[in-house]
Amino acid sequence: MGPLEGLAYGFSVALLPTNLFACFVGVLVGTIVGVLPGIGPVGAMALLLPSTFAMHPATALIMLAGIYYGAMYGGSTTSILVNVPGEAGSVVTLLDGYQMTRRGRAGAALTVAAVGSFVAGTVGVIGIMLAASWLADVAIQFGPPEYFAITLAGLLLLSRLSGGSILNAFVMVALGLALGTVGMDSISALRRFTFGSVQLAQGIELVPVIMGIYGVAEVLLLAEEGIAKTQIAKVKLRELLPTREEWRRSTMPIARGSVVGFLTGLVPGPAAVLSTFISYTLEKKMSKTPEKFGTGMIEGVAGPEASNNGATAGAMVPLLSLGIPFSPATAILLGALVVHGLQPGPLMISQRPEVFWGFVASMYIGNLMLLILNLPLVGLFVSVLRLPQHILATLVLLLCLVGAFSLSNSFLDLWVLVVFGVFGYALRKLRVDPSPLVVALVLGPMMEKTLRQALFLTQGSVIDLVARPLAGTILILAAAALFGPPLVRLARAKRFAKPISQGSSASD
Amino acid sequence: MLARAVPLVLLVVVGVYLTLALRLPFGTAARPGPGFYPVIIAMFAVVVALAATASAFRGVRSAVVVELDHASRRRVVISVAALVAFCLCLPWVGYPAAAFAFVAVVLRYLGARWTTALITGVLSSASSYGIFAALLDVPLPRGPW
Repeated sequence: MGPLEGLAYGFSVALLPTNLFACFVGVLVGTIVGVLPGIGPVGAMALLLPSTFAMHPATALIMLAGIYYGAMYGGSTTSILVNVPGEAGSVVTLLDGYQMTRRGRAGAALTVAAVGSFVAGTVGVIGIMLAASWLADVAIQFGPPEYFAITLAGLLLLSRLSGGSILNAFVMVALGLALGTVGMDSISALRRFTFGSVQLAQGIELVPVIMGIYGVAEVLLLAEEGIAKTQIAKVKLRELLPTREEWRRSTMPIARGSVVGFLTGLVPGPAAVLSTFISYTLEKKMSKTPEKFGTGMIEGVAGPEASNNGATAGAMVPLLSLGIPFSPATAILLGALVVHGLQPGPLMISQRPEVFWGFVASMYIGNLMLLILNLPLVGLFVSVLRLPQHILATLVLLLCLVGAFSLSNSFLDLWVLVVFGVFGYALRKLRVDPSPLVVALVLGPMMEKTLRQALFLTQGSVIDLVARPLAGTILILAAAALFGPPLVRLARAKRFAKPISQGSSASD
Repeated sequence: MLARAVPLVLLVVVGVYLTLALRLPFGTAARPGPGFYPVIIAMFAVVVALAATASAFRGVRSAVVVELDHASRRRVVISVAALVAFCLCLPWVGYPAAAFAFVAVVLRYLGARWTTALITGVLSSASSYGIFAALLDVPLPRGPW
């Protein structure tokens, strides 16, 4: 099926009433959790995952992904109006967005952010169509060594790119990989690290871990504050229209942000957040008046807001065409598909076209719905912020508890939820990013399986494994990305150090 | 203190993991057994844990923990205690009672009035039980009553 044919077929799936409704629910929930500081898209996706078990896999994917990209729209609203990021992808929007509000241009900022997100979402969907089908054609030749190389490379890149020290990220990866080995070994059926527990033989479930780290932990952070009142700027509907000058200044940042976002999304890492920083820096560099950034420049809202949406689209590519998630959010999407016995990967696009193309088409529809939800109805979502935060926080905790139990009616999942909630809270206090742990927990079992199959193929020779052209190239690229930047920095430091202290540079 | 305690705890955990991994059948490189991959992971974990400990003891301040005031700390501790209590009590007192008590206690300690806490507790416990137990057929424990 060609892209156009596929898309037409996809619309016939996405426009089915159930799928339209699922898409609407997804983007609505996404906008709300995006607006609310504290609970983010990942926690919300984990909470709603159990409710998708009874749905068709395409419907489940459409709804859960809607939460993910919907949150990118909602997050900007809170950043612009309240000066608090609704979720992590909107931190950069604060800088100029809130300044615009102070100058009475809140409406323009909201509109540009929503339109930018819409353009980027649409560009992203086209990107998915082209990139995912192309990558799937390539990936069809991948064997276990290539898949092993990709998962390993993904984890290395993720550690490099996630904020904070690489050592902390490695610790998280190690813990995640180790947790992934708990339970029954899939090849020998031997129980590992279960301490005799029957329930642990099933392994540690991803969803309670994510609910703990991204749901419970964030509520515990909110609990520190107790009852807090938020100051919200008022926007009138007729102020929503940007001036012609503001449109003109936003056009190129939106275009650049869409592309930057999509490309960042393809790379393992905290794509949505990272892309906004890249886009902001880029706009500042391109600007004739970089010193004015931070005082309410519309470029600083348009670019990042487009890029975070582009990134959510880009992140779908490795998931859909390789079946490998590189972020907690896409890990949940994988979980939703696996429950239905579907393995995303090169074969899914041709064997289950209704899932792939239905999902792609739903993103067009979802972005259109979001544009409508977030512009004329922006006031409605802002009023969500007036709900008493402490009541919401408590209800989220209760929902996490019931949700975790309902996954497989097991008390073990409840304990996993609480333990990882406290652990996730501690990590945030120590300023350690937990996402490498989550991704490693998902990729770990994949990595082990492919490594054992690969070694079986090469009869135990690591050299033969690395000598396969594709697997070798991927590993070399990963090593370059990992060790390249520090080496370049070291080389530069030496060159600059020479004129000052000649001779001593050789020793350090 | 804390900055050094964390990597030490990590080292112990990783050490236990390595010992357990070494007891599993390792196999050979051509026919890796169930212990093959865990041992590799454990060695990686030991290396990073040692590096983390070393950097903590060299005085590299990787984390700045902001001290919480007494009231904030109490709110977090109570919330965690309530979560643990919920998990412990659920099999014995049943979901409706546990959920009610959980919501009421947490809300009260987050600063809500008693009346708000009790009413929200009743409403949220009843509605979530209705949705999950009645509509979604989740076998939530009902308790002795």
